[in-house]
Amino acid sequence: MNSVVVKSKEITLLEVLDRVLDKGVVISGDMVISVADVDLIYLGLKVLLSSVETIEKLRGSPFVGPMQEAR
Amino acid sequence: MTRQQPVYLYCVVDRAPELKETEGLADNLYFVCNNGLYAVASKVEEEEFGQEGLKRNMADFEWVKAKASMHERIIELVMADIDVIPFKFGTLFNTDASLKAMLEPYGQEFKTILRKLANKQEWGVKIYCHPERLKANLGNDDSEILKIEDEIKSSSAGKSYFLKKKKDEMIEKTLNEKINECGRESFELLKELSFEARINRLLPRQVTEREDEMVLNSAFLIDKDEVGDFQNMVDALKMHYEVKGFLIDCTGPWPPYNFCGLSSGKGQNE
Repeated sequence: MNSVVVKSKEITLLEVLDRVLDKGVVISGDMVISVADVDLIYLGLKVLLSSVETIEKLRGSPFVGPMQEAR
Repeated sequence: MTRQQPVYLYCVVDRAPELKETEGLADNLYFVCNNGLYAVASKVEEEEFGQEGLKRNMADFEWVKAKASMHERIIELVMADIDVIPFKFGTLFNTDASLKAMLEPYGQEFKTILRKLANKQEWGVKIYCHPERLKANLGNDDSEILKIEDEIKSSSAGKSYFLKKKKDEMIEKTLNEKINECGRESFELLKELSFEARINRLLPRQVTEREDEMVLNSAFLIDKDEVGDFQNMVDALKMHYEVKGFLIDCTGPWPPYNFCGLSSGKGQNE
């Protein structure tokens, strides 16, 4: 057997939030209640996430792959 | 008159899933069907998930953690039986009819996405690095840094000040190169074993609550038959990089959150 990490609750709360709050299909339209608003508030997590760009700048030459997320 | 409860959408599948669980997770789940697609949903409280309630609750980290985990567990429960299109946390509809109305225009696209996802799994790879540990290892295998260290020893105080400054710059530059090399090489090698691959934003330490810095946040859509090869590659990368001060964290299989973008470009939160 190899040593690839099997999901454990401890490790994955961050992993869960990273996906569930940020990824997944987003539908826009009249029938959806408030996803757009939720995007903006994000409990300040959004604010923290946006500081990532600053970190990348500090590091000088950030790793930019061909699939780098467009932002 | 009873108030209408909002409808919370978890995922879309193409047949009624069989849910095998014992924790009562599925008790409130039901399906809204349209043209061969099944939306897995539950009714939620207006107080909690209505416009006002949601705004208030999203500021409560404990609430978000609990509900986001629930979102994930329910999708995983469905995923245990069938391929899913996972929706983002907090996708809410006013009524079953409005959810059904959404399935109509997106139906063909959902079916195309489900065909793409057949027999595949999403795995995540995050790489962390402890800059100090990496730095400590640098001098030993970089001949230019070793050379400048020798020069410092045999120089006057004034000259060695400038040489030390130069050495620090050199270390900083080499550090960046090593980090980029690890990220790029790992991503490229894993991408070769994947159907699709994606690089996501790095999460800062305030979010990860780790001492080391995230240097790669990536996701891969892998053919189930290739998962073994993928994991072997992760192990090889660990062998190579972990002694150098990196930590490679591979998790999965996940619902394919990263690989369900709608062609309109609005399907994924970019």
